[in-house]
Amino acid sequence: MVSTLPLVGLTKPLKKPLREVGGFVALALDTFVQMVRPPFFWRECLEQCWFVSRVATIPAIAQSIAFNGMVVYLFGVAAVSFGAGDINGAGSGLATVSQIGPVATVFVLSGAAATAMCADLGARTIREEIDAMRVLGINPVHRLVVPRVVALIITGNLINGLVIISGLCADYAFTIYALNGNPGAFATSVTLLTNLPVVVVSFVKASIFGMLAGLIACYKGLTAGGGPQGVGSAVNETVVYTFMALLIANVIISVITATTTLAT
Amino acid sequence: MSGDVRTVFNARFPRAARSARTAAREWGRLGEQTAFYVEALVNIRQALTRYMTETLRVLAEMSLGVGALALLGGEVVVLAVLTGAAAAVVGIFGYVQASSLGVGAIAGFFSAYANVRLQLPLVVANGLAATIGAGATAQLGAMRISEEIDALEVIGIRSIPYLVSTRVLGGLLVVPPLYCVTFVGSVFITRTVVILAYHQGAGGFDHWFNTFLLPRDVLVSGLECTVQAVIVMLIHTYYGYTASGGPAGVGEAVGRAVRASIFVSITITFVLALVLYGKSGDFHLSG
Repeated sequence: MVSTLPLVGLTKPLKKPLREVGGFVALALDTFVQMVRPPFFWRECLEQCWFVSRVATIPAIAQSIAFNGMVVYLFGVAAVSFGAGDINGAGSGLATVSQIGPVATVFVLSGAAATAMCADLGARTIREEIDAMRVLGINPVHRLVVPRVVALIITGNLINGLVIISGLCADYAFTIYALNGNPGAFATSVTLLTNLPVVVVSFVKASIFGMLAGLIACYKGLTAGGGPQGVGSAVNETVVYTFMALLIANVIISVITATTTLAT
Repeated sequence: MSGDVRTVFNARFPRAARSARTAAREWGRLGEQTAFYVEALVNIRQALTRYMTETLRVLAEMSLGVGALALLGGEVVVLAVLTGAAAAVVGIFGYVQASSLGVGAIAGFFSAYANVRLQLPLVVANGLAATIGAGATAQLGAMRISEEIDALEVIGIRSIPYLVSTRVLGGLLVVPPLYCVTFVGSVFITRTVVILAYHQGAGGFDHWFNTFLLPRDVLVSGLECTVQAVIVMLIHTYYGYTASGGPAGVGEAVGRAVRASIFVSITITFVLALVLYGKSGDFHLSG
């Protein structure tokens, strides 16, 4: 019967990835629908926020200092040799707000927060606790996924703000004390290229990254199977997919917004 | 006597006693970690001579991937996509920054400069940590909690050379070809972005790119990536090897390992950038 349809053989290897994508989109739509349904689980959301900020704060600050130090050194040196050392502040402000903040947030969210979330949900899935919830008439998407995604959106914004502030402080320190820059010129030129649209775009990015990381982590966690090994590989796939999704989303958003925000 | 002192201290200052215990535990953990790394590195020779088949299997798994990752094309494709994305950002911002100084044509300089010195070591290390590193932690952690590692020891196979050293060696061997692919890819993507999206002249771009691409920089950045791969594999195998607490514990170990290795790799890139390129930047615009 099957052999009469030559295309069936071709669609078979494509079936699994397509199913994965479809399942992910379904979970995302489900989450958005459940997000606006009245009982919102504040306590769970708050706990998750606290958890994410506990694991992510210190690495975020360390990353932002290292990233910014490099940018100031490499591009500050270049700017000085163009004879434009005074606009170091402008370059570092723009780099920090528009790229380093969101990208460091990506690394921290996907590396620390999303993996732990996926491990937690995956462990519950293979112990059939999620199925037990369904049997009790509790919707796991409403009860577990929505608070986690909302928590990641909130903390993504907070971490982004933290990274930007600590990064600008690091930029200032490096420019003034290491490159012997002019403090006044640095401070005045920070806002030269960085205006309100850039800041807004930065926080929109952080929200989108938080949402994507949360959805991917919850999807991989809820669909984990095959015992402890399955949870391990689900966590591994979470890291890979969040990294790729978030960095590609970053490029797309940068391309769309770079021309509009920088035209001013 | 000393026991009495300790009891009194614990009862009188419970909080100080607890933080002292935590500090002592962390200190011990640091020592354990160092001993583990030394043993893994020393045993690389054994992995090469006695577990060559296992090393080759791990290498194939790392470069082309298993399971869901193989569908994407494995580590090579993942890293090419990651570095390509970062190179596109370098192109966009290099051009925009340079043109805001009125020297848009010099974007090729940013490609030669930022891609090689900054972007590749950072993104390759982070990509390795996220993919093969996290995979190694998950694998070893699953083996540990299902007591497969103990079973290996029982049947007389030393687990560190067999499981850890082979993976470290795999990380060492997989990077040089991987680096070549990602280097060519990211340079090509930055060029495409600047020339096609911002309509710059290809000749000008290539001139600045060739002028500022120092062969020494490429070599150093390749070596840096290789060293980072070894460090990433060491950290990740340690966290996997010592995982505990069931499936959720394995997941947490993966998170901790990714965090630790990203932190270490960024610090290394930063320090190396300062040491190697320093304040002067080692390039001369006026020839």
